[in-house]
Amino acid sequence: MIRYESQRVARWYLELSLVLFCLQVLLGLWLAINYAFTLPQGLVDVFSFATARAIHTNTLVAWMLLGFMGGTYFILPLECKRELFSVKIAYLQLLIFAGTAVTAVIGFLFGWTQGKPLLEIPVPLDLLIVVAALLFVANVGMTILQAKERSLIQWMLFAGVTFLSLLYLFGIPFYKNLNKDYYYWWWVIHLWVEGAWELITAAIIAFVILEVTGVERKVVEKWLYVEIGLFLFTGLVGTGHHYYWIGAPDYWLWWGGIFSALEPLPILLMVIDTWMHIKHRKNPIVNPLLWTYIMGLAIFHFFGAGIFGFIHTLPPVNYYTHGSQITVSHGHLAFFGAYALLNLVVFYYAMPQLKGIEKFNDRLGVWGFWTMVVAMVCMGLVFGVAGVLQTYLERILDIGYSTAQREMMFWFKIVIFFGVFFLGGVLLSVYHLFTLKKAEA
Amino acid sequence: MTGKTAKSIFWVGTLSSAIIFLWLTYDFHQQEPKFAKTDQISEQVVAGKKVWHKYNCNDCHTILGFGGYYAPDMTKAYFRLGENNIVSIVVNPEKVYKDTFRKMPNLGVTKEEAKQLVAFLRWVGTIENRRWPPQDEKFVKAFKMREASAQKLNKADITMGACGGCHSLGNRGRNIAGDFGDLALGIGYDQDKLTKFIANPQSVKAGSGMPPQAVSPETAALIAEFVLSLKTGKEVQK
Repeated sequence: MIRYESQRVARWYLELSLVLFCLQVLLGLWLAINYAFTLPQGLVDVFSFATARAIHTNTLVAWMLLGFMGGTYFILPLECKRELFSVKIAYLQLLIFAGTAVTAVIGFLFGWTQGKPLLEIPVPLDLLIVVAALLFVANVGMTILQAKERSLIQWMLFAGVTFLSLLYLFGIPFYKNLNKDYYYWWWVIHLWVEGAWELITAAIIAFVILEVTGVERKVVEKWLYVEIGLFLFTGLVGTGHHYYWIGAPDYWLWWGGIFSALEPLPILLMVIDTWMHIKHRKNPIVNPLLWTYIMGLAIFHFFGAGIFGFIHTLPPVNYYTHGSQITVSHGHLAFFGAYALLNLVVFYYAMPQLKGIEKFNDRLGVWGFWTMVVAMVCMGLVFGVAGVLQTYLERILDIGYSTAQREMMFWFKIVIFFGVFFLGGVLLSVYHLFTLKKAEA
Repeated sequence: MTGKTAKSIFWVGTLSSAIIFLWLTYDFHQQEPKFAKTDQISEQVVAGKKVWHKYNCNDCHTILGFGGYYAPDMTKAYFRLGENNIVSIVVNPEKVYKDTFRKMPNLGVTKEEAKQLVAFLRWVGTIENRRWPPQDEKFVKAFKMREASAQKLNKADITMGACGGCHSLGNRGRNIAGDFGDLALGIGYDQDKLTKFIANPQSVKAGSGMPPQAVSPETAALIAEFVLSLKTGKEVQK
């Protein structure tokens, strides 16, 4: 069912990505347990919350990137109408990336860390990641250069992965000045999720929609231009919403506030155009679950990342909500809505083809989808309630951090409850993807 | 909309935002010395920042509001806790948080490293960041008031300013090592002995988890007097 032999490399990327997804969620549950219960000092000394959080967030980044890379390797031959430039490079890159990720996680357990949130990987390992990224960018670039036809999607993918790799470099140096440190930390984190990653998302989704609906390429590409233009227009200056309280000039309140208030627009556009393309499709729907995921992605992306982001990036609100469980709530809803679901779209698009299945039996997958989505919405709400309560107790009533945190114990027991459901949904989906079977006629 | 319009939306949107962003970045660097007091970044401060990274503090604590939400924000920690408390907490967390619902790991931070950390946090506290976090502003104000016009403070202010990092008094301060109202009832020392205890707890009661307090003998005496006065207040109430 795959049209180009080199697409097969994608399978390794996607399967490793799925394994890390499970690990990430398991660690997430462990973090919630840290909040909900008092753990013995001896345990905290050897396996601290900080270490568990480093693994939780790094496995997140790793499975996201593996999904993007695998997805890119899967769709690039189709979009370029030729084999990948080099399958060997693709495997070598995977080997380096996976080896580095495993070493990093083991290193965290022994306290080997750069000590920056989300970018804990120590410098020597960072350099290996850079090598893997260079190999990837070169492989993608060469494949595109050798293609007979040029397309917008090719270039968007290339721009996205190059931008992503370049930004990573800003997180590597040691900065003496903490506020400069965080200024550039956001060049990695914010410009990834609200810049480079959005480029990749928009390009991949445009491709999948194009392939499966059979709508005219010109129409899809036109919207892709507008969406990416708006994403970057709002997202670049929108970085300013992280600069309100780091010790930076006042104008960031205005630039950051106004531009980030516009950030939901391109996502709204994405919801509308996804919907329009589905409505005007020329091909029949073969695998409804894939469509559920595409629509789910658009809607969850809009609410979790767009609307929730909008609400708490306004400076007067952010003054109270910054650095509280509200951020946790937004972070979970946004990452799940925008990027976990994107990867799942990639998995459900590519895996059946890699296994030579046209129409797959989706019973377990449907359960997986709804369990994950409902559990994540509930978890997001509970984090949100906990965050409002924390903010109110600590920053409005001003009754101290510990008192507010004691209240968190109850709410995190509820988080654990929904987290177990979420883990169930994840395991179900991962099992389903690993054991996809043809639908019975 | 034509394809051409779409293309120009892309280019105009992307480039205009990139130019604004890069220009603001340039300006940020121009103004950095003013906002971040870069002239005060000494070697000790840099060493402290390395300690902060080495022990991955930032994955439990936020600083400037970024990082883990599992432990208190450290932006203004210097004003909230003061040097002694920071050193004692970081070096002996298992003692300081013996009876609390959430633990801090003992990561083997040395006293030397803890002092560097204090220098780092003292500098971070001076970053002009629009008085964030809001809940710590009272500690910053109290600290500055104590420094600027000590004569205007009442005894409760002085006591809570010096001891509020670990002790509470009603709704003031942090109750890590007990509320003064309750503690006062259990104190059997007279004012002299309590003054000595505040300056160096180990010399009076071996094995005490409380760190030596860097306050002048006069201030220690004043605090002792205040704490003991709470005792009578409570007894009269009863």
